[in-house]
Amino acid sequence: MTTVPVTIPRLETEDLILRGYCEQDFEAIAAFGASERSQFVGGPMTRWDCWRAFLAGIGHWILRGYGMWMIEHRHTGAVAGRVGMIYNDGWDEPELGWHIYDGFEGRGLAYQACIAARTHAARHMSLDGVISYVSDKNERSLRLARRLNCTHERDAMLLGQPCQVWRHPKEGIA
Amino acid sequence: MTSLPDIRLETENLVLRLPQAQDFDAYCTFALDPVRAAGFGVEKDRPQAWRWFASNLGHWVLHGYGYFTMEWKATGAPCGITGICNPEGWPEPEIGWVVYEAFEGRGIAHEGASRARRWAYEELGFTTLTSNIVPGNTRSVALAERLGAWFERRYDNVQMGEEMLYRHPGPTDLRDARP
Repeated sequence: MTTVPVTIPRLETEDLILRGYCEQDFEAIAAFGASERSQFVGGPMTRWDCWRAFLAGIGHWILRGYGMWMIEHRHTGAVAGRVGMIYNDGWDEPELGWHIYDGFEGRGLAYQACIAARTHAARHMSLDGVISYVSDKNERSLRLARRLNCTHERDAMLLGQPCQVWRHPKEGIA
Repeated sequence: MTSLPDIRLETENLVLRLPQAQDFDAYCTFALDPVRAAGFGVEKDRPQAWRWFASNLGHWVLHGYGYFTMEWKATGAPCGITGICNPEGWPEPEIGWVVYEAFEGRGIAHEGASRARRWAYEELGFTTLTSNIVPGNTRSVALAERLGAWFERRYDNVQMGEEMLYRHPGPTDLRDARP
């Protein structure tokens, strides 16, 4: 059977590998989706909805040509979260999103992952100066947005939920 | 390496091919219709329908199969979807079909599902297939029976609630039944 490649580039940072998906990633995605940690990204959700979100994350790359990577922790091989460009139907424009799994917070890993994804998207995907949607109750993500030199642009609604739009600096200005 | 299978199947009136972005609107119109989509899964809005549409492509990547877009050969218009799906929590892989409103009454579901089933047996090596049908969906029951499938049991589906599981004839049964 012939196949058509779906390009999900592999990015490396000091501590992380950003890569495409494999079936084994599902359990980590389902655990995150079932936990309170997913409350600012549409969760907690059922295992069924996690499965749909997992597959949709792959399909996003095919429909848009970009998407979210799996974040793998280089030293342990563990899956540490997801990061990347999200432009689902209902979004105003593509955003840089991040999900950080239990046990991988507070070490600067999310920052590392966001910089790698943001830089790659600006240089290779024509996605520069993008936004991030952040809930005003998500203190950790608000801190990360500031650390990434984002500026609060406006308040908005996303899928019926109030949130803030933070604008990233353009590549070369950060 | 992530990849999509490159498949195009033809029947007398149809082309079965992998979904493309421009097929979304036709699917979305169907998925938001509470009556027509009741047996497949009604989506509450366009963003949710888009998620399903994207997830089907992810299914193709992970499993090497999924729902095809059925294209009406004469015009190239998407007229429905059919294919093999194996969702998390489902009892086993199933063959499903949906025909869009403007294309009813042309035998499309039978023509497309028969071709997809043959492909699953001949190219993917499946030895059996099921179809899960919501009680009361008499049109789908009629089509399942026309495809030679028979009622096996009722069970509780993670997404749809109570469903009837129909068992399709296997590859050997189909070969033997050919004239």
